[in-house]
Amino acid sequence: MNALSTDPNKKKPTAKSEALITRRTAALGVGGLGVFGILAGRLYQLQIEQSENYLALSEDNRFNFRTIVPSRGIIRDRYGEALAANTLNYQIELVPEQIDDLDLALGRLSNIVSLSDREIAQVKRDVSRKPGFVPVTAKDHMEWDDFAALNMRAHALPGITPRAGEGRSYPDDGLFSHVVGYVGKANDADVAEDDDPLLLQPGFRLGKTGVEQAADDRLRGKAGRLQIEVNARGRVVREWPGKSEKAVTGEDVYLTLDADLQRYAAEQFGEDAGGIAVMDVMTGELRTLLSMPLFDSNLFVSGLTQAYMDKLNNDEKRPQYNKVYSGGYPPASTYKMAVMLAALESGKIDPRQRIFCGGRVRLGNRLFHCWKRQGHGSVDLRYSLKQSCDTYYYEISQIIGVEAIADMARRLGLGQRHGVGIAGEQHGIVPDPAWKRERMGAGWHMGDTLNSSIGQGYVLTSPMQLAVMTARIANGRSAVSPTLFAGQDIAPFPDLDIDPDHLAIVQDAMWSVTQEPGGTAYRPNGTGLPGIDMAGKTGTAQVRGISLADRAAGLHKNDRLPWKYRDHSLFVAYAPYDAPRFAVGCVVEHGGSGSGRAAAIVRSVLGEALRRDGLGQQTQNATETDVL
Amino acid sequence: MTVRFEEFDGVGSKLFQINWLLPVLAGVLGLVGVLAILSANNGIWTHGAMQHGVRLAFAFLIMLGVALTNIRVWYTLAYPVYFVALVLLVGVEFLGVNVNGSVRWLQLGPIRVQPSEVMKPAVVLALARFYHDLPAWRVSSPLGLAGALFLIAAPMALVLRQPDLGTSLLIAATGASLVFLAGVSWRIISLGSVLAAVSIPVVWQFGLRAYQRERILTFIDPARDPAGASYHITQSKIALGSGGLSGKGFMQGTQRQGGYVPENSTDFISTVIGEEFGFVGSLALIGLYIAVIAACIRLSLQCKAVFSRLLILGLTTTFALYIFINLGMVMGLLPVVGVPLPLVSYGGTVILAVMGSFGLMLSAHVHADTLLPRND
Repeated sequence: MNALSTDPNKKKPTAKSEALITRRTAALGVGGLGVFGILAGRLYQLQIEQSENYLALSEDNRFNFRTIVPSRGIIRDRYGEALAANTLNYQIELVPEQIDDLDLALGRLSNIVSLSDREIAQVKRDVSRKPGFVPVTAKDHMEWDDFAALNMRAHALPGITPRAGEGRSYPDDGLFSHVVGYVGKANDADVAEDDDPLLLQPGFRLGKTGVEQAADDRLRGKAGRLQIEVNARGRVVREWPGKSEKAVTGEDVYLTLDADLQRYAAEQFGEDAGGIAVMDVMTGELRTLLSMPLFDSNLFVSGLTQAYMDKLNNDEKRPQYNKVYSGGYPPASTYKMAVMLAALESGKIDPRQRIFCGGRVRLGNRLFHCWKRQGHGSVDLRYSLKQSCDTYYYEISQIIGVEAIADMARRLGLGQRHGVGIAGEQHGIVPDPAWKRERMGAGWHMGDTLNSSIGQGYVLTSPMQLAVMTARIANGRSAVSPTLFAGQDIAPFPDLDIDPDHLAIVQDAMWSVTQEPGGTAYRPNGTGLPGIDMAGKTGTAQVRGISLADRAAGLHKNDRLPWKYRDHSLFVAYAPYDAPRFAVGCVVEHGGSGSGRAAAIVRSVLGEALRRDGLGQQTQNATETDVL
Repeated sequence: MTVRFEEFDGVGSKLFQINWLLPVLAGVLGLVGVLAILSANNGIWTHGAMQHGVRLAFAFLIMLGVALTNIRVWYTLAYPVYFVALVLLVGVEFLGVNVNGSVRWLQLGPIRVQPSEVMKPAVVLALARFYHDLPAWRVSSPLGLAGALFLIAAPMALVLRQPDLGTSLLIAATGASLVFLAGVSWRIISLGSVLAAVSIPVVWQFGLRAYQRERILTFIDPARDPAGASYHITQSKIALGSGGLSGKGFMQGTQRQGGYVPENSTDFISTVIGEEFGFVGSLALIGLYIAVIAACIRLSLQCKAVFSRLLILGLTTTFALYIFINLGMVMGLLPVVGVPLPLVSYGGTVILAVMGSFGLMLSAHVHADTLLPRND
């Protein structure tokens, strides 16, 4: 080895290779420094130049906003009574990560609160789908007793929390279901057309029908935001109330309805089906808009059972159908005022002119019957309405023509929507030749005119439209339209443009119906308020033609027919006669003669409306005070 | 000039002769690592920081032991170590333990070794010995080239099969730089570069596994996989970038607190430093590494023997490549390959490997005057 290092010949190449290595080391060192330079440059780019960007991104990572669902506005009647309110919804929340054994915990929970197999399966599904720290709702809309019991034992159930959230409730078991509607979870279609972040919140409910839907923008309020800090797994690390926005509670919405009057009207209906509208003849404000029978819209919020749904759908009285507003019924004899006014306006009919009623009219080879088989004898215009003589209208309609009748009916508010503001309002039908050609592709026959003249055939109206018609007759000057939302600006009503003399004749005839002995709806002291007269008109709408065979079998007696084939009972009225305040339109489905069921309901409701408005005899207490 | 023949002669005086700059710098880096790991684990000492400190201390002793061993021992052991490492690598092929889909570990009784880690210094030892023994004029000759090529290619191929692309490239790069340092002619260098460039498509098609190709593609086009591999890089860049000039403060990093950057105790530890100490802190870290590398190069220049020089430079190259690849990956300049940041990242094997190689360097330097046999 010594020899190796001392050999002079070998020393030179070693020195040479040493120098080479040094040079190469320097080259590599410079290269390495260059790489470090690139790294430093990249750091400069990231940490100095783009720092703000990345800082923003890191804030994005870190901060999130939780949407706070605002309280929904209350829907109230004209006096402030809540028709749709927010109540506490007692729930059980369960945080999976705080529970060791889910089956055991659910078992313990079901010892306190009843949990169906379906609810348990639902909880297990939710737990398996969501991260462990996201609370799962184990039960919704609990009874207070259960909730209280759970609160007592909550300490023994880690991970299970009783919670009181906000839920929508409708007082009076659905008295206002048809008008107020109900709320529900937003579905995919709702989310598609509305980008409000609230719609994605599990606790949020959206107006689905009625006022809840129509005034949803006002009722909904504005979402609040709570800034939260989250980690990479989405767990909330802490809340930052400083940068948060409070939720704005939804506006209260006032309706023109009078809850007590509506309740009273519902009582008058009892088990019967139908609709009634009570309307202010001056302002058009609807005091009552009731469809019977009722259904409980609370069940649509808290979860509908299939059994209840089936019950609703199979009920021949169709509880969900808004009869007062969306219903279409032949107005029957209540249409006769329109015919009368058209006849007077045409100038072709003298009110004193008498027409003989023999119980039927022959047109070609068809017979048109008057409701009174034996005929009314000699009938003038006033008597024709008082007695509701069909023959009189068969005759005059042939003289004045159906166009004049249809035109008058429309001017009285039939055959059109009034834009009350909730979905489902129907046009109804005021038929004329043009309508029939367009809709049925068939020509108009004189028979159609005769049918129309007594409000049968193609004519269809809703109880609300009948109330509008009556209100316009009673008002006499302006073409009143109904309103449901209180406090909204209403354009002045257009002129009714009907000769006041003609209206006076019709009003007098309507008075005779209810106030004169012999009138179809005569009762002494009809409204129940001494000194206050009412004017009205009955209607009995045939649901099904009565065949000769039926007559032979005696089946034309209405009360012996199956319910769904019986006549509809209609009544329209206004009061007080000399200074009209309210007009009513009422249909009792398959309620028989108009002079019976519908007239009785209208009499009491109209009386109650007037009493509540400060007219006539006051409450029981007021009477007692008087005596004292 | 004193010539010592006794391998363990004069331990006391040797301790004096050790160049203490390198151990001190390594200690500082290790301390930076302890603090960064502490922060990455929310200030809990027992979640890594303490273990890191203990391992550093242990590795420090190993380093001293290696440093005090005569360089002749390492010279003699160069080939045996290389061949043992090669055998272990072959053993992995047949008896390896599968961890996370790649077979890198070998269970030897109670201990589990990663032969590819052993191979990194072993290749350097073998190549240094090879060039030390090879006459300078044969460096560019076919025989010299073939020998070097075998020493590099054999472990590389075995590591690539595990599959461990990162380590295999590391071995290749270290080997290539040693060939360069040994003085291979520029003609061969250019030829080699061209060959390497041509072989890239071939390696792409046949040498890489699907997930490796996927990683590289994701690196080139991050939109391919926003939630997967590129999530790593995106969050890592956010952590660094949001640190800004001076950082968010020690233990104040929000990206770190939120747990947005995965593996931030190990491979992505520099994101913690970058986020909490900003550009200034990152530069200081790079500065420390440059200082370590400069100290190593200085050690090599003070040696005369080709073996010593190439040994130090080769090990330094491995060390530098660790840093380049790790930082490049964290900053989004390179694909994610799973290379730790030496001395700072949590993990025992790397600390041991790095401190061991520092020991070798120091040994070479302390024994700079020891003559090694050479047959030019």
